[in-house]
Amino acid sequence: MIRVSGLYKKYDHAEFPSVDHLSFSFPEGCIAGLLGPNGAGKTTTISILSGLIKKYSGEVEVMGMDVKKHAEEIKGKLGIVPQQIALYLNLSCRENLRYYGRLYGIPPITLGPLIEQLLKRFGLQEHGDKQIRHYSGGMKRRANIIASLLNQPALLILDEPTAGVDVQSRNMILRFLKEYNEEGNSILYTSHLLDEAEALCQEVLIIDQGQGVIQGSPAKLIQEHQTDNLENLFLKLTGFRVRD
Amino acid sequence: MKRIWATYIKEWHLMRRDLGGLSLLFLMPVLLISIMALVQDAPFKDYKNRKFEALIFDQDQGKISQAIQKGLEESGQFTLIRQHQNQALDSMTILSEIKAGKYQLAIMIPKGVSSEIYNSANLIANEMGKHMGIPGSLPHREAREGINIQIVFDPVSKPAFRIAIVNALEKFTTRVQFDIIMDRISALSGQADTSKKLDIEKQLRSVGVKEMQLHQQSSGIEKSNSVQHNVPAWAIFGMFFMVIIISENMIAERKGGSWNRLKSIPGPFFHLLMGKMLFYVLLGCVQFALMVLVGVYAMPLLGLDALQLGQAALFLPFIVISIASCATAFGILVGTVFKTTSQALPVAAVSVVILSAIGGIWVPLEVLPDSLKVLSVLSPMRWSLEGINTLLLRQGSLSDLLMPVSVLMLLSAAAMWMAWYTERKQSGLV
Repeated sequence: MIRVSGLYKKYDHAEFPSVDHLSFSFPEGCIAGLLGPNGAGKTTTISILSGLIKKYSGEVEVMGMDVKKHAEEIKGKLGIVPQQIALYLNLSCRENLRYYGRLYGIPPITLGPLIEQLLKRFGLQEHGDKQIRHYSGGMKRRANIIASLLNQPALLILDEPTAGVDVQSRNMILRFLKEYNEEGNSILYTSHLLDEAEALCQEVLIIDQGQGVIQGSPAKLIQEHQTDNLENLFLKLTGFRVRD
Repeated sequence: MKRIWATYIKEWHLMRRDLGGLSLLFLMPVLLISIMALVQDAPFKDYKNRKFEALIFDQDQGKISQAIQKGLEESGQFTLIRQHQNQALDSMTILSEIKAGKYQLAIMIPKGVSSEIYNSANLIANEMGKHMGIPGSLPHREAREGINIQIVFDPVSKPAFRIAIVNALEKFTTRVQFDIIMDRISALSGQADTSKKLDIEKQLRSVGVKEMQLHQQSSGIEKSNSVQHNVPAWAIFGMFFMVIIISENMIAERKGGSWNRLKSIPGPFFHLLMGKMLFYVLLGCVQFALMVLVGVYAMPLLGLDALQLGQAALFLPFIVISIASCATAFGILVGTVFKTTSQALPVAAVSVVILSAIGGIWVPLEVLPDSLKVLSVLSPMRWSLEGINTLLLRQGSLSDLLMPVSVLMLLSAAAMWMAWYTERKQSGLV
């Protein structure tokens, strides 16, 4: 699904690289977790994988294609759920989804039913005509995910999709991710909620200061490092120093 | 095309819910053109149509000063005030009243004006009689210098007002002097019967100076007025308010993450910019059309002349589309270059004011210093005004629009290219 080799990215005027010769790979069809403290380079890595950052060195392949050479093709098969609510707050949820759907070139005859199906799946059908700015935090997060599913992506990349949501919304999102994976799709997700990652992910990669620290299945890693859970393992590997 | 249309629809939904933006685009320019047309109406009106209250202090009390006062009152331009609190005016009172700003002007006729004018008339009549072989001479002495009718202005009075009043008074005084000279010549030649006098003034007026209208009535434009100058100029200024709205929306898109979502969708990003551009260009055209309607129908309700479009107005869409394109492209450029609204909004607002100032919106280009005139070539508002004036004031043809339309489209293309380049640079593509 994803293969990264020697990835290096340093922003202009930055003192240190955000991603420093990072190499990893995730198999197709799995739920993979990209974990790390603040400033570890998770969002930069995701942005490179999704073709939003084009200036970097190293090799990056997504779904067997070089990101630099086949960016447009990859974008068509990829769904990105950004950390921010990347929706127009003054548009209704349906208007947002119709707009993004049209940009993907989905014909109206298909787009309408697809939007209704997704709204129903995320419990937003009755609120579809409300402007996003009137949504609660959890509803915004769910709408944010729906907008990334319109092209029915084979690989869904989520950047902290459950940040700031209530237990019910969180539960719904995680249940959906499992179901989506069971439908044969791959998922790459970042989170600071390590119990969530432990329960959801089949494979995790912990990175710190732009470099890979460790990779493997959560259960195996916990066993190998003789810790109680993923959070303790994370602290053991990345330390207790508070990051900016 | 579907992506462009989808973006157009999205922009429409966003704009129709943005009451602040809508009022900035429509209500503010309507207020602006109405107020500016009213404010600038007075300088456009002929001073003959206006009446001024003038304090008068007549120290001469002679026939001539009486004639001057009668003439001033009969001209209909002046209401002469001779008393203050039931007391005759004196120079001290006049100066204090003017200083207090109660009156705009005062006329002081010094002692000896009548005798000096008679003496001058006698001198001229004698000289002319000598050349014409008329015997005899009228009593005279050497002409004195330094006797002037004095005008005192309120220091707040504008130079244009002072010049107009001085000219009007000089013209009237000359006419009085001229009449006296003619009387003296008639008296010298023995033509005492005034009914038989040669009406020289009338004869001299047989050749006069008259302004010819460049366009005949058939063009639809009857005369230049405040509305004709101000409505198009301030409508152009209002169209450039779009820069603020567009840049603010683009920064909100970027900060909210929608920008990145848009970029993560396959397809040329330029289509999205084109959709945005299409919407705002049409919005700009609608805005200009509304301003024209206000000029035609609302201005008369304010006591002003109606905006006259004339036949050349048929070509207005060409220049209006060019202006709207330029304003939109400039807004997209500002929205792309700046990262935050606190950076972009002041730059957008101040740059619009600067471009309008050097573009001839506030004051005519002719009165600008040479350095600013050169700089004005870079202002899209200069070319916008040039194009609109070509149609609405000069009644130009389509070919006359070639230059302003070309420059505006070139400026639009340059701004779009810079926005595109900046976006690519920010994405690490160049």
